[in-house]
Amino acid sequence: MPATALAEAGSAPAVVTPPTAPPSFGTLALRWYRLNRAGLRATAIGVISLLAFLLVWHLLTTYRVVFLVRFTNVPSPLAVYASFSKAIHDPKFLMHILLSCRRIFIGFSLAAIVGVPLGLIMGRFKLVHEIIFPVAEVLRPIPAIAWVPMAIMLWPTNEQSIVFITFLGSFFPILVNTLHGMSLVDPVLVRAAQCLGARERSIFREVYFPASLPHIFTGLTVGMGVAWVSLIAAEMISGQYGIGYFTWEAYSLVQYADIALGMIAIGVLGLGSSVLIRGAGRLVMPWSAK
Amino acid sequence: MVRHLPTLSIAMSVTSLALLVTQPATAETVTLGIGTQDTTTNTVTAGVVIRQLHLLEKYLPKDGKYANIKFELEWQNFTSGPPVTNAMMANKLQIGMMGDYPLIVNGFTFESNPESKSRLMGIAAYSLSGSGNGLVVHKDSSYYDLADLKGKLVSVPFGSAAHGMVLKAMQDRGYASDFFQLVSQSPEVGSTNLQEKKIDAHADFVPFAELLPFRGFARKIFDGVETNLPTFHGIVVRTDFAEKYPEVVVAYFKALIAANQWLRDDPKLAAEKIQEWTGINKEVVYIFLGPSGNMTTDPTVKPALIDAATTDVKVLQNLGRMKEFDPKKWVDDSYIRKAYAEMKLDYDAQLASTKNYEISGEDAFCKKPIADPRKAGEVWVDDAGIMPFSSAACTLGAYADYKAKGKKINVAYVFDTTRGIKLFADQAFFAVGNGDVAPFLLKKDAEAYAAKISGKVLGFDDAVKAAVGGGKT
Repeated sequence: MPATALAEAGSAPAVVTPPTAPPSFGTLALRWYRLNRAGLRATAIGVISLLAFLLVWHLLTTYRVVFLVRFTNVPSPLAVYASFSKAIHDPKFLMHILLSCRRIFIGFSLAAIVGVPLGLIMGRFKLVHEIIFPVAEVLRPIPAIAWVPMAIMLWPTNEQSIVFITFLGSFFPILVNTLHGMSLVDPVLVRAAQCLGARERSIFREVYFPASLPHIFTGLTVGMGVAWVSLIAAEMISGQYGIGYFTWEAYSLVQYADIALGMIAIGVLGLGSSVLIRGAGRLVMPWSAK
Repeated sequence: MVRHLPTLSIAMSVTSLALLVTQPATAETVTLGIGTQDTTTNTVTAGVVIRQLHLLEKYLPKDGKYANIKFELEWQNFTSGPPVTNAMMANKLQIGMMGDYPLIVNGFTFESNPESKSRLMGIAAYSLSGSGNGLVVHKDSSYYDLADLKGKLVSVPFGSAAHGMVLKAMQDRGYASDFFQLVSQSPEVGSTNLQEKKIDAHADFVPFAELLPFRGFARKIFDGVETNLPTFHGIVVRTDFAEKYPEVVVAYFKALIAANQWLRDDPKLAAEKIQEWTGINKEVVYIFLGPSGNMTTDPTVKPALIDAATTDVKVLQNLGRMKEFDPKKWVDDSYIRKAYAEMKLDYDAQLASTKNYEISGEDAFCKKPIADPRKAGEVWVDDAGIMPFSSAACTLGAYADYKAKGKKINVAYVFDTTRGIKLFADQAFFAVGNGDVAPFLLKKDAEAYAAKISGKVLGFDDAVKAAVGGGKT
């Protein structure tokens, strides 16, 4: 694509001096379009596929389709939109979302701060691995909801209990993926660095860390997803605020449209946070862009 | 995986062939899903008792159009009502039981279901005075009345019968909606939070307001009787199922009547069995379902309960939780009436009666018959059984006597002097003076009474000593 842009610049008047008048708006727009064609295509298709999803959902619920799965009582997109437009005027709903984002942010950041270094160290030093790995493997499959009573007893405040559960959710995927990344580091690279006289610290900084970064970021993305997954369980403790609590309360009052609204909100927030992490990944690892 | 597939499919086709061969070609299997709340003690006779004693199997119709239908019973246990409603909406359950508020939400939610409605067809247990729901605080706290909880953190499962009680209590006392910091917590979360003192109070439905004090870390400071609004647990049935298999629904209610009878025939055994089946301590089961207990098991749909439901609807509407809903149109007692008629019982007589079964017999300690069961008491001696006594003083005297003889005592019950609800004796406040021993749930009631008889308020241990000394302090 840059090639076409250059070609176009080439077909400009044969005067060597740069054009004094700025290119017209149309040219700029065209250039921008050519540069971003792939991205635009993806966005357009994405929007169409989302619209198609909404349409299918609408049709399935309007005609209350029963075919293996039953849409008889599933709320329609319009019903969910109605509760959305009600919720958006309610300052409490904003509060739910803000508090949830804060909890996820703290829990996830802590998980990254603890999980990544721990994974790196476990990958490098066998003894640490042997000590920590069995414990981690036992704790890893325990679902968030099972942690609820323990979390309440472990931490002095409810806010800490909630953050703890989101922390657990993202901690294990981060740890496991970091470990995996470490195990895939090419030993030839390590030996080469050693031959060149690199010390342990530099090997760590220059070889292990960059080589396992792609897996660390996979771990972060997965971990962020799981943090949102554990949100409902975590916010059962809150009893007041949080989008997970909102969904849970809608369930206790059997309000299907609000349940769907909560689910979608969690989905959208989850998507947003994954995009942020992927963006960060691209900044940190320009070599592995795309 | 791929290699296993042929073996698996052969095995499967052999099994299905075997099934085809063994069953007559016309046989039809109908799954009946029943959603129970085993830990919610006042629904047990509608759920776990019928299940464990196989009472429904006993009454299921087997002839006529049912000759070729095999019913498969699928019992599912939940800890609260909304999941039952959810599964009923999805037609995974056809019969469900829950407390008053979740019942109303159930009826209202079904209004928008095109396949079926739900109808309230029978009652598991009720308390006309509203006992069963209650509010507990940590036992070490300094709260003795709702007023002490101003601005404090109080949790209650939103949308439950207990939530209704809290709202009614606030309304009765003219508290603003922000008088407490009211948050929603399920029983399991609220109990743990209270134990850890992270909340100041927790309001909940049966059996938690008794169970948590019994487990030793909580104290009840508010009982639903103070709202004087009836509370109940009832049975809702999908109308499409009831219309297709009316005899099955009738059979279910016959099983419910039989389960209630089983409970009253031997309440001690029933409490022990229910402990075994549900994990709720037998002493707690007995305070609700035993004689003169805080719940009356009576399956008839009483107008007073429906009036209460109408009040509950208003509460839910004020909260913006529901629109128009008429509980009167939602009741259908034709099936339970049929069950009564077929069992040669008088439905209307039972409907008119609000009597529970009461403590009776001879007081072996004070040597006199029990005249007023709501002034009486009971002592559960581990090996000898549950002994009735004619008054609180006699109960405490007998308690001391058993102790002196080295007997192991499970629990002692007395009755609140003014409200007539059954109490754990060791949790009660006693106004003692002038030969009178009067137990109370609330400290302030005991203080008022003590002032009247110019006595003083004692805890359980001191009250026992006083009772032995003839009611002198």
